[in-house]
Amino acid sequence: MTARTGAAVFPALSPCEIYRDCRHVPKGNEVRSLSNIQAALTEKLQNVTAFTIPLFGGIPVAESVVVSWILMALILLLVLLATRHLNPDHPGRLQSLLEMAVDGLNKFTEENIGVHWRHFAPWLGTVAVYIACANLSGLIGLTPPTKDVSVTAALALTSVFLIYGGSLRFLGVRRGLHKFVEPLPLLAPINILEVGIRPLSLCMRLFGNVLGSFIIMELIKAVMPVVAPTFFSLYFDIFDGLIQTIVFVFLTALFTGDALEVD
Amino acid sequence: MSVALGAAIAVFTGIGAGLGIGYATAKASEAMARQPEAAKSIRNALLLGCALAEATAIYGFVIGLALIITK
Repeated sequence: MTARTGAAVFPALSPCEIYRDCRHVPKGNEVRSLSNIQAALTEKLQNVTAFTIPLFGGIPVAESVVVSWILMALILLLVLLATRHLNPDHPGRLQSLLEMAVDGLNKFTEENIGVHWRHFAPWLGTVAVYIACANLSGLIGLTPPTKDVSVTAALALTSVFLIYGGSLRFLGVRRGLHKFVEPLPLLAPINILEVGIRPLSLCMRLFGNVLGSFIIMELIKAVMPVVAPTFFSLYFDIFDGLIQTIVFVFLTALFTGDALEVD
Repeated sequence: MSVALGAAIAVFTGIGAGLGIGYATAKASEAMARQPEAAKSIRNALLLGCALAEATAIYGFVIGLALIITK
């Protein structure tokens, strides 16, 4: 498993700089090497602009967007290949696996959202696939798009539109708005605050986790570039990435189910 | 110097999150041992609680990072 070591593919990120700085700085000069690590880290945390569209004075396209396009193309290709010969009478091994996954998603959505689950399951599944692929993309040498706060903010905003839009759509405007004064009219300010807090917390949770594990992995690679990153990336890349996917989808489903609940 | 101190203080939020998640997990495993048939709903509640408790640590981390980067 050559997890994350492929990051060297991107010349803009150049992880070698940290290693070189750590090794060749003369003894008694730790302050300089520390500040070098800080400078290299700060450089890595910048969201790189991949290219600029020469329209309307130049539209910058971030690296996270380009990586998202790559992931979209890969996912689309995989989905098209996997669903080519579907047969309801004689399901193959792959088809059974896919059916199990979709079944699990449907059951999960039904449990958390209730009677209107059918409208929400496709979106939740799509977001789960996207976030999982985005978090795991570090393994194949790409920069995870979820390391960019704009991406997680967009995901969190769509979640909050889903939650309150679903409430207004399925409960009606009157009952949907009445949700804000439940269980007590006294709690209305807190319910209104939640409209802002929920997306903020969803966004920051995903962003902070991915960025945190990214930084820790860079530090580990700086200290010991050979063996250690493999084992640590098992936890920080794979386990943490998948857990955050589940948490994001689970919280969105839970909030939506909460907003759709009828007493 | 003051920036480093501020970032260090911000990261102290991790103490609360660590204690909270540890306490929640201890109670959840106790509950699962007592009622294995309710393990699924306990796990869901634990996941939700851990996610919410962890958010405080993440806020501290993001604030510390913002302090260091934007100084």
